Amino acid sequence: MSLLLINTLEENDPAAQGAIRVLTAKTPSITVFHTVKMKISPCIGCNACWLKTPGVCSVKDDYEQILIAYLQHDATVIITDTSLGFIRYRAKNIVDRMLPLATMYTCIVDGQMRHVPRYEKKYRLGIVYSGTADVSYMEQWLERVALNFDGISMGVYPVERCEEVSLCI
Amino acid sequence: MHLTVISGATRSQTKSNTAKIIAAFCNGFQTGSNTVEVWYLSDRKQWDKARNAFWNNRDILFALPLYVENVPGIMLEFLESLSPKIEPGTRLSFLVQGGFPEASQSRCCEKFLKTLPDQLGCVYGGTFIRGGMFGIGLLGKKIGAKMVAPFVDVGHLFGQYGYFDAEIISRFASPEYLSEKQLRSFQGFGKYTQKWSVNWVAKWLGCKGKLDERPYR
Repeated sequence: MSLLLINTLEENDPAAQGAIRVLTAKTPSITVFHTVKMKISPCIGCNACWLKTPGVCSVKDDYEQILIAYLQHDATVIITDTSLGFIRYRAKNIVDRMLPLATMYTCIVDGQMRHVPRYEKKYRLGIVYSGTADVSYMEQWLERVALNFDGISMGVYPVERCEEVSLCI
Repeated sequence: MHLTVISGATRSQTKSNTAKIIAAFCNGFQTGSNTVEVWYLSDRKQWDKARNAFWNNRDILFALPLYVENVPGIMLEFLESLSPKIEPGTRLSFLVQGGFPEASQSRCCEKFLKTLPDQLGCVYGGTFIRGGMFGIGLLGKKIGAKMVAPFVDVGHLFGQYGYFDAEIISRFASPEYLSEKQLRSFQGFGKYTQKWSVNWVAKWLGCKGKLDERPYR
């Protein structure tokens, strides 16, 4: 099992360091991206990844390597701090940029419209957070996000209990 | 009533579906003595003025596209930068537009939006959800204008109530789910016509490959 760990906190943040240490010990293969020092812009909503250059983001920055890494790993965990009871904007920008993994085509799943996934891949997504959060809301949100990419939510965990996410990998 | 509209859309004003919706909404809103100011978060140079407008005004409307089940990252960044208001009396309302046709797609986002007024020292003025808006900028000016036309009435009624009253929502918001008939129709010929029209739009935009290409595999 391989894990993609996307750390949106400062690399030397004790919460991030602790989570990375724990998850590295629990997972045989792990890749870590520290996004604060990477050049990652917010999604600009241009729809090029759906309608002009299918699957390829028009924003040329460091995100492409993360996009490829989603496909190369069995599970993805995003480490984030919180604000307004939710994940912070840096983590949301990371999630927003996942759009090239879906296609413009739609289908009906359980009575609701969904995007047809671009790849035959069951994404497994988890969140490890530092700070105060509305956990039940974040759980619901992550489940919806996973559903939209034809994936599975591994849940939302405070950094102190991050080893629990490794049980889902 | 003076309304401050803040667009949380990521696209520039000229290319934004949300901006077109806001324009129609403002058209309907500005009757009688109603006035409006609009700020676009896609332009970071407007952020300071948008923050000041939030701080100095009492009727605020955030208009946004649904973005991966919540607000776009840039809007979240802006919200995080706001200090909660100390003086009571500001009303915060939300207009959410989405590509999928069902209102149920935006309920998760709405749940988050409902928490914001309290966290920012405001009261809640409701959330208006309208789906099926993806094609506004893609299907030509005539169809685009037809798609945003109901927002003139939404804006007019909002100007009367000052918030998204149940009447506005029941008359103009999208249905919660597609009907059985709509589902059957989509699963029959609908998915083929949708695929055909999306392929046509892509070709028109200059796309040379297939829309379901897998560039990284």
